[in-house]
Amino acid sequence: MRKLSPAMALMTPLLMAGALTPVRAADMTFERALNAISKEPQNWLLYYGNYQGYRFSPLGEINTDNVKNLKPVFAVALGGLQSGGRYAFGNLEGTPIVEDGMMYVTDGWGSVYAIDVSSGTKGDIKWKFDPGIDRAWAGDVACCGVNNRGVALWKDRVISIALDGRMFAVNKATGEKVWERKIADPALGETITMAPLVVRDLAIVGPAGGEFGIRGFIDATDLNTGQQAWRTYTIPGTGEPGNDTWKDGADRWKHGGGSVWETATYDPQTDTIYQGIGNAGADWDPQYRPGDNKWAASVLALNPADGKIKWGFQYTPNDPFDFDEISEHPIIDAKVNGKERKLVVHAARNGFFYALDRTNGAFVGGKQYVDKLNWTTGLDPETGLPANYDPKSGVQVYSPGTHGMRGEPLATVCPSHFGAKNWEPTAYNPTLNTLYIPSIEGCDGIETVAQKDFVDQGGTVKPRDRFSGGAFKMTGRLYGSLKAIDPTTGDVKAAVRLDFPNYAGALATAGNLVFLGQADGIFAAYDAKTLNKVWSFSVGTGINAPAISYSVNGKQYIAVLAGSRQSPFVMQSDPSVKYSSTTSMLFVFGL
Amino acid sequence: MDVRFALRFSLALALIAATIASVRAQNVQSDTQNAEAARVIAHGKDIFKTKATCQFCHKWDASGDQGYGGNALSLRATRLTPAQVAETVKCGRPGTGMPYHDQFAYTDKRCYGVTREQLGKDMPPEPNAFLNSDEIDAVVKYLFATDVGRGPSTYEDCVAFWGTETRQCEPMKQ
Ligand code: HEC
Repeated sequence: MRKLSPAMALMTPLLMAGALTPVRAADMTFERALNAISKEPQNWLLYYGNYQGYRFSPLGEINTDNVKNLKPVFAVALGGLQSGGRYAFGNLEGTPIVEDGMMYVTDGWGSVYAIDVSSGTKGDIKWKFDPGIDRAWAGDVACCGVNNRGVALWKDRVISIALDGRMFAVNKATGEKVWERKIADPALGETITMAPLVVRDLAIVGPAGGEFGIRGFIDATDLNTGQQAWRTYTIPGTGEPGNDTWKDGADRWKHGGGSVWETATYDPQTDTIYQGIGNAGADWDPQYRPGDNKWAASVLALNPADGKIKWGFQYTPNDPFDFDEISEHPIIDAKVNGKERKLVVHAARNGFFYALDRTNGAFVGGKQYVDKLNWTTGLDPETGLPANYDPKSGVQVYSPGTHGMRGEPLATVCPSHFGAKNWEPTAYNPTLNTLYIPSIEGCDGIETVAQKDFVDQGGTVKPRDRFSGGAFKMTGRLYGSLKAIDPTTGDVKAAVRLDFPNYAGALATAGNLVFLGQADGIFAAYDAKTLNKVWSFSVGTGINAPAISYSVNGKQYIAVLAGSRQSPFVMQSDPSVKYSSTTSMLFVFGL
Repeated sequence: MDVRFALRFSLALALIAATIASVRAQNVQSDTQNAEAARVIAHGKDIFKTKATCQFCHKWDASGDQGYGGNALSLRATRLTPAQVAETVKCGRPGTGMPYHDQFAYTDKRCYGVTREQLGKDMPPEPNAFLNSDEIDAVVKYLFATDVGRGPSTYEDCVAFWGTETRQCEPMKQ
């Protein structure tokens, strides 16, 4: 929808007058989720806006002509700044969900806030649900911060997760817990940070913990009962296809990583979910785990009803870099070389953009999108495997000296082990057929330390101990970029250099704008065609979360969570943010 | 009663009383000293645990760690003297992942006689929090009071660090 029809423009204020005394919102159904963008452009009902992973708002009231008049209209202070475990504070990485003037957001410690945003001048917190996490227990096994990326809606409930591995069904009207289920276990180094994907009556999540020796899985909860519907391990067990890609002879697949910490996309046409899978464990000691180590650093296509794997595609076999490929896999139908293709695409942490045939996982095309890439010489045009992948070798060397090996000096890898793109999501404008990639540019070093075995395999490493086979080290400056690419060719159409590596993620809108936050607090809009910066506002604290758009009373808003202080390593890259403080705020902008 | 005896007796009493009083005074004085030392150590623990989150990289028991905190050395096994630990905290360690914590380090030559410009890409990481000299003193005293030179940490050490309102130490319970 571009503009409101006159009839609707008349009706909306009437509807909203009713909504001021909050009416019970309609139940969230599968039908509504399937048509989230086309039928309810005023809402942001799903984590990515739609199942296909676009982060695209069809609202065009705010556009390239008038965006200069965009201003903050209200802000709301949230909580979740408490310390816990290894961390001094919780972060904000969440995507708000908006349904008929009510917004549902989370803070880093998993509290859910239902905020009435229908007035357009103030955010009224109607309820807050605090899961009551044992913060030391969960925070001590969070790899990289205290995070929670948001909720999902189902029927009259809000489905949320907490770092300590629990899922909750909460009454959408009151904030009262209906049930909870323990899915991941911090006793094993498992935590949950991702927003659930709800398909029909199932909520699908997985555990983080690739740095703590977990064996990853994808898990579905039957929302009617609060019980497990299925669980599929991302690292195949004995007898399962792919288990023979663990050639160490010591059952190291049992702690093989393959974590899951970003929401899958879903294709209704083929009834398939596409789940990105994290790095192999131990991260930086590939000699510990000779073999391709499936399905680490891969994408898996699964049947949402039973979790059966339809196909898998591995991006970086025997991953020696920590190249998690957990991030979004948008679903696009497009012509490639004159042929209509059903694609699933991915801007990978390893620096390449990939297009795969989503019906069978066949490689369609791929191209480097990051400025500097040294770990391989390209992609094999047939298989999509790294060009210098050696099928006869258990331990992949790739380009010599780009990853740590036991007893060898510091190796330098570009893009850095943080990736060319980490979890921070891309946005896709279907009208312009352009994918916007927020990226991390630069290189860093990897220092391998031979990984010791787990106690259950005769070693000394205990559950909850770090299990990373070494560490990374900064070797120079990281910066960021926003790139506009054609997802059928991988060609870069426009690019803008950013001062900071990006950890926020993008939003695209029908107003031909792309919104992106940065580590120094600058929240900016870019022209979707040229990537010229057309507007910005400083929120005064780092932004590590992607924006969304919604409308109330026919008026469009942009909302983003703000509050972060960067890690010592990101600040090392750019010390200008060394005096920055975090906070916990929701900002909403309007014309 | 013999006057001389009475005199001697009262002298003796006075002596005893005086002795008691002075022992008390000493006790009070050393109690204050102990309380002050304990306060400094508790302050140091808070810095290690939360303010500067040394534990993110070195682990709660300072036994060293790997991964997203870098290859951080064990401070239980360190051979450094308190003064050297203080210098390492203040200046970080160039060319490694150990951050500096003195806000003005490398703005002049107070750290190893070099500046940020001279160090270039060997400049240590920025800290989670800047620490003043009292704070650095406190964290050093905390480390030497609880971790440095100790063997593997115990369940009791864990409870002392995390308290009992968390499951954190359960896996260490025998
Ligand atoms: C961002 C991670 C990080 C943080 C935070 C950190 N350290 Fe370190 N620290 C390291 C690394 C990595 C090393 C190893 C340096 C080397 O290789 O020589 C180290 C080394 C040290 C050493 C030298 C030990 C020796 O025997 O040579 C001391 C002492 C030390 N750290 C104390 C601290 C204290 C106290 C704090 C908090 C105020 C702290 N560190 C915070 C990463 C960190």
